[in-house]
Amino acid sequence: MAESYLVLEDGSVFEGEPFGYRTSAVGEVVFSTGMSGYQESLTDPSFRGQILVTTYPLIGNYGINDSFCQSGHIHARGLAVREYCKEPSPMYGGRTLDDFLRCNKVPGISGIDTRDLVIKIRTMGTLKGAITEDKDRIDSLVKELKRMPAPSESNLVAEVTCDRIQEYDFGKDTRVGLLDCGGKSGILRDLSQRFNVTVFPYDTPADVITESKIRGVLISNGPGDPSHPAILKTAAKTAADLSSRVPLFGICFGSQIVGIAMGGKTYKLKFGHRGTNQPVKYDGKVYITSQNHGFAVDGDSLDGNDLIVDQTNVNDGTVEGLRHKNLPIFTSQYHPEASPGPTDTSFLFDRFAKVVKEGHL
Amino acid sequence: MKKNYKKLMIIGSGPIIIGQAAEFDFSGTQACRSLKEEGYSTVLVNSNPATIQTDLETADRVYIEPLQASAVAKIIEKEGVDGVLSGMGGQTALNICSELADSGELKRLGVSLIGTQPEAIAMSEDRELFKETMKRIGEPVPLSRSVTSVREAVEAVKEIGKYPVLVRPAYTLGGTGGGIAHSEQELAEICARGLAYSRIHQVLIEESVLGWKEYEYEVMRDSKDNCIIICSMENLDAMGIHTGESIVCAPCLTLSDKDHQRLRTASLKVIKALNIEGGCNVQFAFNPENGDYRLIEVNPRVSRSSALASKATGYPIARVAAKVAVGYTLDEIPNEITGTTCAAFEPAIDYVVVKIPRWPFDKFRTVDRHLGTQMKSTGEIMAIGRTFEEALLKGLRSLEIGAKGLDSIHMTDAEITEELTDATDRRIFAIGEALRRDWKPERIADLTKWDVFFVNKLRNIVGMEKKIKEGPLTADLLKNAKYLGFSDEKIAEITCRSESDIRKSRLSMGIVPVYKMVDTCAAEFDAETPYFYSSYGRSSEVKKDHGKKKVLIIGGGPIRIGQGIEFDYCCVHGVMALQEEGVSAVIINNNPETVSTDYDISDRLYFDPITPEDVLNVIEAEDIDGVIVQYGGQTGVNLALDLEKALAGKKTAVLGTSPDKMDVAEDRRRFSKLMDDLGIRQPKSGTGYSFEEVKDIAESIGYPVLVRPSYVLGGRAMEIVYSTEELKTYVETAVKVSRNHPILVDKYLTEAIEIDVDAVSDGKDVYIGGIMEHIEYAGCHSGDATMVLPPFTLSKDIIDGVVRTSEKVALALEIKGLLNIQLAVKDNEIYMIEANPRASRTVPFISKATGIPLAKISTKIMLGKTLNDFGLSGYRAIDHYAVKASVFPFLKLPGVDSILTPEMKSTGEVMGIDKDFDVACYKALTAAGNRLPAEGGVYITVNNSDKERVLPVAKELAEMGFRIYATKGTSTYLRENGVETTTVFKIDDNMKPNAIGLMREGRINLIINTPSQKSGAVRDGHKMRRLAVELEIPFLTTVQGADAAVGAMRVARDQSFSVMSMNEFRML
Repeated sequence: MAESYLVLEDGSVFEGEPFGYRTSAVGEVVFSTGMSGYQESLTDPSFRGQILVTTYPLIGNYGINDSFCQSGHIHARGLAVREYCKEPSPMYGGRTLDDFLRCNKVPGISGIDTRDLVIKIRTMGTLKGAITEDKDRIDSLVKELKRMPAPSESNLVAEVTCDRIQEYDFGKDTRVGLLDCGGKSGILRDLSQRFNVTVFPYDTPADVITESKIRGVLISNGPGDPSHPAILKTAAKTAADLSSRVPLFGICFGSQIVGIAMGGKTYKLKFGHRGTNQPVKYDGKVYITSQNHGFAVDGDSLDGNDLIVDQTNVNDGTVEGLRHKNLPIFTSQYHPEASPGPTDTSFLFDRFAKVVKEGHL
Repeated sequence: MKKNYKKLMIIGSGPIIIGQAAEFDFSGTQACRSLKEEGYSTVLVNSNPATIQTDLETADRVYIEPLQASAVAKIIEKEGVDGVLSGMGGQTALNICSELADSGELKRLGVSLIGTQPEAIAMSEDRELFKETMKRIGEPVPLSRSVTSVREAVEAVKEIGKYPVLVRPAYTLGGTGGGIAHSEQELAEICARGLAYSRIHQVLIEESVLGWKEYEYEVMRDSKDNCIIICSMENLDAMGIHTGESIVCAPCLTLSDKDHQRLRTASLKVIKALNIEGGCNVQFAFNPENGDYRLIEVNPRVSRSSALASKATGYPIARVAAKVAVGYTLDEIPNEITGTTCAAFEPAIDYVVVKIPRWPFDKFRTVDRHLGTQMKSTGEIMAIGRTFEEALLKGLRSLEIGAKGLDSIHMTDAEITEELTDATDRRIFAIGEALRRDWKPERIADLTKWDVFFVNKLRNIVGMEKKIKEGPLTADLLKNAKYLGFSDEKIAEITCRSESDIRKSRLSMGIVPVYKMVDTCAAEFDAETPYFYSSYGRSSEVKKDHGKKKVLIIGGGPIRIGQGIEFDYCCVHGVMALQEEGVSAVIINNNPETVSTDYDISDRLYFDPITPEDVLNVIEAEDIDGVIVQYGGQTGVNLALDLEKALAGKKTAVLGTSPDKMDVAEDRRRFSKLMDDLGIRQPKSGTGYSFEEVKDIAESIGYPVLVRPSYVLGGRAMEIVYSTEELKTYVETAVKVSRNHPILVDKYLTEAIEIDVDAVSDGKDVYIGGIMEHIEYAGCHSGDATMVLPPFTLSKDIIDGVVRTSEKVALALEIKGLLNIQLAVKDNEIYMIEANPRASRTVPFISKATGIPLAKISTKIMLGKTLNDFGLSGYRAIDHYAVKASVFPFLKLPGVDSILTPEMKSTGEVMGIDKDFDVACYKALTAAGNRLPAEGGVYITVNNSDKERVLPVAKELAEMGFRIYATKGTSTYLRENGVETTTVFKIDDNMKPNAIGLMREGRINLIINTPSQKSGAVRDGHKMRRLAVELEIPFLTTVQGADAAVGAMRVARDQSFSVMSMNEFRML
């Protein structure tokens, strides 16, 4: 049986078997605790630059179906699982995960003790790692991994944003803009039920956006570090410039962008929040949310600022949502569009519609 | 924030019955502890003494009283209860609560229901209301109509459009009386039955979603409308098989995230619509063809599924539900598992959980084994693995049905097809067999309506078998086999090697299990839970912590006939006693319903099968000092010798009575010899290896004789035979007799009084915990018999003799711990029937009735204490009566004769306790579900030898105003002796009036029928007994039983009883 290895920068090696596309991959090793939704995660642009580990040991059980994709292709650089399903349930067409990875030229590794790996990540924080089938390369890989900059140190957003402005007409009365930092198709889907949408590349200046007749802007999720210099100059600046002109709604990376645009700071979490069971407290109530982020807004950095932290994570107290004191601006660190995950907070899109209509929170 | 209540009542679920097992002891106990911790004063009521919740440590005031609205109201009044937790005692508690609400009693007493409100009970139970509610929130339910007659049912089917349709009675347990009707004739039959079972005489006729997939969601909601899902579950068996009868896995494995979220969202809508503050279970049918779904059922309370979900995820549903019920919100309740997070989150698990039901068909050979909408299983097991295959194979091994895994089964192709289409308990093995014969998985999926995903998982298992058979057994192959959950025993079977040989090579290859933690969060947070399962992987999370002494208690496995919740009670008491002595207590068990598998009971919990391999693995991983096998019923005892052998020369010891001495008690020859040496009389006996030999023995001993095969225990296939002819039938039909399978023959002592003794010994002294006199004559299995503590007819001499005999036996067997002895008294002579060197079914009963916790004391003795340390010796009588009565599954299992025999048939038991004997009998009999009439008619038909003794009973009944019906012989005798009777025809005469007709007309409310002493006569009354079961007419088969019942009926008529808490009885 062929062997494959997941090598971490601390020198630990997890043996497994290769599946998917037979190649090697390097990335940040992160884990997600969602028990379903592997296809949505793989195709979520926020996983750009990362090797995804699923804590659920059986992956691929219900196969692959185009309707679950969150973008045109897989963004994760690799997938590490305990077991992938070779003979999925036929309910959704029966295409295999293996085939999906192959077509996307993404390697997978199976048969590893993912729980052991997760405990390591939880203890040490996110690690850089590589998938390789070349046993002889392991030692040199470890050295390389140590030297290598984290994927988030490059401008990952540039790799996943759309290449030009796109206008969609969904037969609605109002048009909003979507600043695409690597947005999931779920966001566009939920917007399309309420608005006509114009999608802008992440580096579109505010003036260009306000030229089109849009009544509000949603800043999407996306991969990497929101305080990357290339982001500060583009999306963050756009958000700052838009803030006094149109209502803003930031999701995930977009929430961090709003935080930065309003003068706050972000930081990297030890190992991030990735899963579909994160409790968020909002107005005294608890909502179960879908999350995928490695960076967060530093709540303390907002002291004396016009942004208020109005939502927090029940588990660790981190910032989950912001609201502007005066302007029609609000955000969520989690994904109200779900896909994967619970749809309990989809009311945020209704709220955006209300804000857009009324011009205030 | 929590609300102000002075005193809260928790209602338990009563005896173990099909559809309601140990899960409610687990949830009720959690709820009590949870409320106590909040400073509330608690009152617990339950009629089942074999529960941890009825321990005085669990609640402040404990009542062992019948679970009836009237008794519960008395307790509420007496204690000044101001809040009743309705959702912790299953359907029983809900029914009592809605009865008290409907009758206005709650209002009168100034009590509020907390958790589940009467409106929610009604909305989920009343099908029309349920339908309306779901319509209001836009959730689809199957087309249906509630009906109250067969005629209406036929009309309803016309509206629905086509057969088959489901028939569901309202307000019943575990689907009692329901069914699937494929034609108008079937509809009429099932409907009539269902109407009879329904508390409100209503059944629902419903569109069939047969063959659709079935999913379940466990939901929790608090007063601020925060809602979470604890666990999703997928039934492997499609709609048409009750979820309690299905193999279930958690989480859902074949649903896309999108569809999972659709069902999740629907579940949240439901719990909001029902306005439940607490837990709730929602069941869906899902059409795999087009993704349509229907809401099938909602349980507005904790349930067996929620117990499973709790164990499957580590999320303590009952504990949290209790806190939510008193007003806390989920974010105010800490998650004890992680210690750092709170209860407001959805558990993420990183393993596969499989639940498999345990059916009683090994005991009830005449029952139809087909699975359907009515529950037949008595218990279940849960298994955890990192692969589906591992979880499933562990599960099959946990069932204790002799399966080493996915074992072969002898079936023809036609039989397999039949089995796949119309499932029995054997279907899983039939699928394995079909795959061994290279049937296409798609074909199997089509026949079974399973998702082919699961069939392919079984194919992986069969494929691995083949690889192992082909060999050679390399380290890689062995490792892969272990990944898939193959046991050493199974690999040994396939490779024709011994299990110890496989174990040796495995260990030499360094292939050992690792232990993973159940932590609710898929390792996202650091957790401190002591809850583990075995798997094969890279690293183990169990760290050997040296220092404290560690003792492993072997659990009792699934609940089945003969092994109930009593053993779990003993295991839990064992744990408590170890902890009191500063010893670290480790539990291995696989029953998700029980208190012993609650993660905060023991210091370490291992959720694994109980086989030598698994137990030895835990012993090694934990570096265990001692093992207790006495508390796990036969499960533990069966392991004793194997363990001792494997542990020879190691530091780990089997604690208590030595396995060799246990073997003396188990081995008939060794035991007989010991009794002879001790001069203790035994019924004459012998062992025959062929029919001829058995016949000769029986003739020399003299009929009637008790016969049973030697290789099964627990009264299986045991019968009393009265003649050579009957013996012949028995040998031909019930058992195989051969050189390897001899038959044991015992003299059957007719009309002897049977006695059960439970004792504790430290090897030097013996303490007689209790002597219980059976009300039925010897020959009725002690698990089924009605027993009275202390003896109510025995002379002081006999009692002294019983004490002396028990002491002699205990000392001779060098008992260290518990001993149960069964004796018979005939003509003032004491006979030894059997001795069981382990915890018996009656240990909790005695412990409750006397106040002496036998299992705890026994545990401490195993650790080295003596009886003297507790000031215990000899025998002391109590100054009140405790009566144990059994409950039977006859209603749910047509085909089982309700006559009591040496084979155990009951599923559970209750206790009636009072200073007055009649009141204690009344409490026990009513708690066991007997509807003792206050007026009406009594049918008496007794054999000749009983006529004289039944006379005073008949007189008393007549005095109480009952009309006595009797057949000619009995009638004439009674009339001659001054009792007025109405003579009726024998049933066989086919003339009216006869008993059957009168029963149907409701004119007979009690039956006293003592069959004549031959089994032919026993069978004759079958029709009448069956009808009595269906109409729930109390049926007494002994004069002693009738005598006790008459006293109880007087109490019933006058309602002249008071309730008394266990705190108030003067204990020893």
